[in-house]
Amino acid sequence: MKLAEKIINGERAAIAKAITLVESSKPDDRIESRKLISQLIDNPGKSIRVGFSGPPGVGKSTFIESFGSYLVGKELKLGILAIDPSSQITGGSILGDKTRMIEISKNPNTFIRSTPSRGSLGGISNGTREASIILDAAGYDYIFIETVGVGQSEVVASNLVDIFSLIVGPGSGDELQGIKKGITEYADIFIVNKNDGNLKIEASKTAADYKSAISYYKKNEVSSSKEVLLVSAIEQTGMDEVINTIQEIVLQNKKNNSFESKRCEQLKFWLSEEIKNIMQLDIQRKIDKAGSIGHFSDRIINGDISMYDAIETITDKLQSE
Amino acid sequence: MTDKFRENFDNWQKSFEKETKQSSDKAISDTDEGIEIKPVYTKDDLKKLSFVEENSLPGQWPYTRGPKASMYTNRPWTIRQYAGFSTAEESNEFYKKNLESGQKGLSVAFDLPTHRGYDSDDDLVMGDVGKAGVAIDTVEDMKILFNEIPLDKMSVSMTMNGAVLPVLSAFVVAGEEQNVKKNLLSGTIQNDILKEFMVRNTYIYPPEPSMKIVADIIEFTSKEMPKFNSISISGYHMQEAGADNVLELAYTLADGMEYVRAAMSKGLDVDDFAPRLSFFFAIGTDFFMEIAKLRAARTLWSKIMRDFGAKNEKSLILRTHCQTSGVSLTEKDPYNNIIRTSYEAMSAILGGTQSLHTNSFDEAIALPTDESARIARNTQLILQNETGVTKTVDPLAGSYFVESLTEELSQKAWEIIEEIEELGGMTKAVKAGIPKLKIEESATKKQAKVDSGNRVVVGVNKFKNPHEPSVDVRVIDNNRVRDDQIKKIESIKGSRNQKAVEKSLSDLTNAAKENLNLLAYSIEAIKNRATIGEVSKALEEVYGRHFATSLSVSGVYGKHFENDEDFMNVKDKVEGFEKSNGRRPRVLIVKMGQDGHDRGAKIVATSFADMGFDVDMGPLFQSPKDVAKDAIENDVHAIGVSTLAAGHKTLVPELMKSLKELDPNSKMIVFVGGVIPEQDYDFLYKQNISAIFGPGSNIIESAEKVIDLISKNLELK
Repeated sequence: MKLAEKIINGERAAIAKAITLVESSKPDDRIESRKLISQLIDNPGKSIRVGFSGPPGVGKSTFIESFGSYLVGKELKLGILAIDPSSQITGGSILGDKTRMIEISKNPNTFIRSTPSRGSLGGISNGTREASIILDAAGYDYIFIETVGVGQSEVVASNLVDIFSLIVGPGSGDELQGIKKGITEYADIFIVNKNDGNLKIEASKTAADYKSAISYYKKNEVSSSKEVLLVSAIEQTGMDEVINTIQEIVLQNKKNNSFESKRCEQLKFWLSEEIKNIMQLDIQRKIDKAGSIGHFSDRIINGDISMYDAIETITDKLQSE
Repeated sequence: MTDKFRENFDNWQKSFEKETKQSSDKAISDTDEGIEIKPVYTKDDLKKLSFVEENSLPGQWPYTRGPKASMYTNRPWTIRQYAGFSTAEESNEFYKKNLESGQKGLSVAFDLPTHRGYDSDDDLVMGDVGKAGVAIDTVEDMKILFNEIPLDKMSVSMTMNGAVLPVLSAFVVAGEEQNVKKNLLSGTIQNDILKEFMVRNTYIYPPEPSMKIVADIIEFTSKEMPKFNSISISGYHMQEAGADNVLELAYTLADGMEYVRAAMSKGLDVDDFAPRLSFFFAIGTDFFMEIAKLRAARTLWSKIMRDFGAKNEKSLILRTHCQTSGVSLTEKDPYNNIIRTSYEAMSAILGGTQSLHTNSFDEAIALPTDESARIARNTQLILQNETGVTKTVDPLAGSYFVESLTEELSQKAWEIIEEIEELGGMTKAVKAGIPKLKIEESATKKQAKVDSGNRVVVGVNKFKNPHEPSVDVRVIDNNRVRDDQIKKIESIKGSRNQKAVEKSLSDLTNAAKENLNLLAYSIEAIKNRATIGEVSKALEEVYGRHFATSLSVSGVYGKHFENDEDFMNVKDKVEGFEKSNGRRPRVLIVKMGQDGHDRGAKIVATSFADMGFDVDMGPLFQSPKDVAKDAIENDVHAIGVSTLAAGHKTLVPELMKSLKELDPNSKMIVFVGGVIPEQDYDFLYKQNISAIFGPGSNIIESAEKVIDLISKNLELK
């Protein structure tokens, strides 16, 4: 049986191997990967893709364990792609997210894959989009993409999902001042976690801060459904509200066609990203081949040639090839 | 006089320089604790003492020189060997034999299911029953365990923390049914839950309710069991997990402070319970450091307790049990372990311990045999009867070096204690994961020193034995033990008064809801023949079961190898691998079953990552089925199983079976590390295990072997 068929049959090992393939940096694998994705894209499933991002220590994995248990308890199939930051120095990584997903990792209705981020932009690894296409074809009802929120990542991550949510901790409202615009643009749901014990009051206050922050922008936006929710991952409270909100937003977006138009926009984004990536690799290869950067920089330092003359000479040479 | 000393000292410096071609100021050796050891100590060093009181004598404040005035001159320390395995019947036989041969106190090792509050018939524990200790499911097992051992005369120490309520209850009921009233029972229950969250991981409930249970036991015993030590505050497992002596000392005493506060919050007066607090330290190979640690521990504790307002002198005195280091034992050239243990025992004695366990030389490989247990016991009998060490109290007092070391350890530990106090105490620090991370960092450093050859371990990284001796080991037939236990559980459940059991269990649950002292309710349930598992579950209903999240250090191991050829060689291999395979070698490191000792797994994970591997970490207490799912979904190249509690013969075959079920074509490499007797190697290789790494394996060499195996495996495909 071909790999694509096995995936559509939901075979766990086949799904896993396919994700390895789409994440691979080997040129041969990239060709195989494109073939596979083309086949799968013709057999789309019905997954809703939800992104979860947030600063380190806010309890993302713990929330996903808690919310995930709630969903699989409703007989839903759940695929999780967790992007773990790799160490910049050694290139290796410790993928420890699953140590916080004890219950759901056992459940036969889940598929959990950790991926080292490899320092690529926004904590999204190469292949995350393709991996979500694989899980979609394999029949998962929900696909969660978990990323570490570090500035830029929201932009990239939100381009992979239907609904993008930001998990924050109590007391994070103060940080809102400077970043209001960015956050409200990309996030559909704000989840204030740790609404438990003696943090409850602080959590409510933070939720109020977020609510007032988004109210400024709500009026001007097409997609107006931005929600702020209070949850406790440890006590598993607020989970029904999270799923209800997700379902409502999906329903509403499908009604006013923004669900499909968002996916079209993302396709456009993907197309241009892929072209950029390919061109960039190509240009880099040419520059490496020409080997002129080192040569010219020496000459600039020695005062033999000006910076701008050097740029012109190199680009002329590259374009003529 | 002073001038004469100056003159002598100057001359000594000159001679030293002449002999060593190095100034004596520069000839400093380092220790794991970051204490600088000078080549010579003089009376000048005594001027720097502040914690240590120069004029104090044994049995006097601050008790640096010993808790009692007469110490071993009046009565030697108690030889207390920790043991337990298989069924209660077999452990009982073993205990009786040991007592006849000169052992004085008992110390019970329970199996992991008992620790974690599971009955032997629970599916979750099938690989662990009777393995690393004795299986106890009901009071009937406890009665068998102490058959023909009079509990009014024998002091019994029990290493129990997680399932402390049902196990202590079973001990009390076993006593009652021997016609011994509970106020006559003597011994110790470990009851030290904080270090479980840090290193040993045999907890059941979350930190807060666990602390409440600790306090309940202190309260109950202080009123009803005056001869019983309610807690044994343990640094042992911290050192075993890789903590240096300062960390061990500081965290143990900080734990102690937290327990004192927990008991006082019940309204007890500090002097009501403090005399029954006891301690437990590890004694490793750093000879003088270990002696100084025990002296420093007593010194600091007396200060801490005075600050708590203790008035009774007994409250100020730290009494301790010691055990020689298990982690210092090597699988290679195992008879060397007899010698290591002897020196460690000597440290414990010179440090003034109240009781001692000496390890058997084969414990790096398996459970002790009758023969190896005899040698371990005789190590102490020889010390007591032949060496003359019992004739003088604290013979090293006044030693410039030992007194200075005692002072420096005290100061360094005190700094850490103050840091913990600023954080709000040990429960908070533990919840934040700080001590665990510090200990792991220390462990990784120690491992790197051995792997890089900076620290010599005889027979392991130097002076290797070309003819490794083969050693007979004790084999436990885990399935037979489990079947026996299941039969006993069935027969008890068939004959007990079920209504009474259910009522006492629901009373216990309600008591937990109403925040009452739980021990009396637990005793009632156990008396009615409720099982250990049932009692634990009755409380789980209220408290839930705790699952720890785990953090990892990174970069600590690699730092020791910046220019190391072998290390760089593996890194290069990893990068070459990525180029030709499109991703890095990916390895899942797991623990299976109820074995929570994760030091080895953590060190392997962090050092492999430092060499460039992608390392997946699984949660603790996974079943083989969970591990297989995790491995397949993440499409790892290899699984590394860390096993220290003898479960490998059951759990590894299960894992191989589960892998095949999920992926019939699976060619995943599986390797095993930890305590595995050589006799089991063939069995494991027949299960298609690719490599086995025993204790003391060099991690860089292991990593290289793993990447080679993976590469070869990919070529075959």
